[in-house]
Amino acid sequence: MAILADPAQPSGPAKTVRETLIRPPVFSVAAALASVAALGRHRDLFYTLTLHRIRVRYKQSVLGIGWAVLQPLATMAVLTIVFSYIARIPTAGMPYAVVALAGLVPWTGFSNAITTSTHSLAGQAQLVTRVYFPREILPLTYICAAAIDCALAGVLLIVVMALYGVAPGPALLFAPVVLLVLLALVCGFALLAAATQVRFRDVGVAMPIVLQLLMFASPVAYPLDAVPSRFLSLYTLNPLAGIVENFRRSVLGTGPLHFESLAISAAWAAILLPLGYAYFKWVEATAADLV
Amino acid sequence: MSYDVRCVDLGKRYWLRQGPGSRLLRRLLGAPAEDFWALRHVGFDVAPGEVLGVIGPNGAGKSTLLKLLSSITAPSEGEIRIRGRIAALIEIGSGFHPELTGRENVFLSGTILGLRRREIAQRLDSIVDFAGIGGFIDVPVKWYSSGMYVRLGFAVAAHLEADVLLVDEVLAVGDAEFQARCLRRIHELRERGTTIIFISHDLGTVERMCRRAVLLRRGAVVAEGDARDIVTEYQQSVTDEQLARPSLAPDAARSIAIRGLRAAGQDGRDKGVARTGERIRLELAVRTVQPVTDAVAEVKIYSYDDGVLLFECRTPDSGISLASGDHVVRFDIESLGLLPGAYTLGAIVRRSGATAAVDWWFGRTTLHVDGGPAAGGQFHLPYRWSVDSPASPDASAPDVEMSRRRGASTR
Repeated sequence: MAILADPAQPSGPAKTVRETLIRPPVFSVAAALASVAALGRHRDLFYTLTLHRIRVRYKQSVLGIGWAVLQPLATMAVLTIVFSYIARIPTAGMPYAVVALAGLVPWTGFSNAITTSTHSLAGQAQLVTRVYFPREILPLTYICAAAIDCALAGVLLIVVMALYGVAPGPALLFAPVVLLVLLALVCGFALLAAATQVRFRDVGVAMPIVLQLLMFASPVAYPLDAVPSRFLSLYTLNPLAGIVENFRRSVLGTGPLHFESLAISAAWAAILLPLGYAYFKWVEATAADLV
Repeated sequence: MSYDVRCVDLGKRYWLRQGPGSRLLRRLLGAPAEDFWALRHVGFDVAPGEVLGVIGPNGAGKSTLLKLLSSITAPSEGEIRIRGRIAALIEIGSGFHPELTGRENVFLSGTILGLRRREIAQRLDSIVDFAGIGGFIDVPVKWYSSGMYVRLGFAVAAHLEADVLLVDEVLAVGDAEFQARCLRRIHELRERGTTIIFISHDLGTVERMCRRAVLLRRGAVVAEGDARDIVTEYQQSVTDEQLARPSLAPDAARSIAIRGLRAAGQDGRDKGVARTGERIRLELAVRTVQPVTDAVAEVKIYSYDDGVLLFECRTPDSGISLASGDHVVRFDIESLGLLPGAYTLGAIVRRSGATAAVDWWFGRTTLHVDGGPAAGGQFHLPYRWSVDSPASPDASAPDVEMSRRRGASTR
């Protein structure tokens, strides 16, 4: 093959060459984990897209970011009316509203993140078919946006606790650990849901129902103690159970942490996150053909 | 040889009728999978600093190749190696959000395209300038005109720094002035030594931009070599196909249908490249379903770059008679007056007295003029030259009684 002499010379010194190799996709956890490194190069996109999510969500709404607080507040009010006046749930002397809100903070964080990120890949056809960037940034930025909402709901929780005169105990130190497990779980679950939605749109339709069931199967509206002990081992298989209950216990100081359920949640996260990521990367390779 | 991009045995398979789960179901039922290869066994190298054109008819696999090169979708087999940073010069307006301002959107689409925020901030003025949107940068893009929207989207992509640049149908974007700006930008990058892959069915642009080209057809590379040869070969094959397909049913609604248009030399053979001053023949192949008595055929020559009509020849306005069947209308031009460059041939057929065309043919035939006697100016006129030196009264040299030299340029 003859190379025609080109008068244009490459400018500057010899470029530091990074060779990209593009091959047919393979399902590999190791390959997926290796691609985490590439995310670093896209951190500006990560930042910009997260900012974009937050800006867009509340654009042209009067209350704006206030919705992040109003959403859990309204749910708390509904739950309080139902479970503290109509059906009484034992809360061991703790005001029910505080018990409910302490459960709602991690739950709405989970629920918002999953709801938004499920459609994050399949719903971005115009973008996905035109330009490449690591697609996991799409669900991950939705998770970031949900995390910020979650933090605002956390501020609300502090305010409500102060109003009811509830002070956290030393177990509060465990709250970050619980939130970390929640984050890992959310990421694994969101990657799995977003990738599956590309081929099977059923996921997006089923998700609200699944989340509703999951909420009632988690100790959000009631404490874990309200669950009959013979069902407890089955109940705590739900990965959200350990997170919601332990978050509440660490923040409100209501009893010692339930480490068994937290360990189950952590195990779920440890399985879902690498598998979900590998599956996502595998689907990502040809997602543009399917969206 | 060294390369910036190397494709080896590249293939991309698409599954047809791919409903959710249907592939699984079909496999379980043992039904044959319906697939087709958009690309198969494609291999080529692009040398550093080279500008490679990829041409081919619709459905040849050009867009698929672009998607594979830019990682939008993964190949089914084979591999691609790319050295350095790759970027696609595409209009990214689709990444825009209507509620956000132009500035916010520039940062959004810029980072999507792989720029750092700092880099975008540095280039913001230049991007705004390139898009020509001036003070509208802080206005939500939903108030933009569609032209501004597209130009801004493209301007962001035009400011990417890449070692390998993919260019896809740039000329479909914006008005003539903006297109010229885009081409200048590509030239600029080329001068800087950026490796460029130019994927287009705009043959003239490919030929002007690229030294080398590959021709794709039905998912395979069928020819590779000097861009001009490949373009000529492609045009030849397209013309041949159109002329040699008698079974093709003419559009019933069209009383006269254009089947092909070409420039031919004196020997009657196809001529993709002509010389200024040469004798040339323009041939328009038409087909009539029924005899007509009032046909008017017009062949036009346009400048390639801006589509300005330069020349037009036609059969008499009173109309000519054509029996039903195939005909070739010939226009013999004694001396081609075009200067070296690229030109587009166009044609229409109409009925006498009517202005509306019955059929037309544009943008599919390119004529290249290369060399000849012309020195400059806008066009060439056949001329002769001579020197006349009348004997001066006090001429002392008897042997220079009168000298006369002659020459001619016309052939």
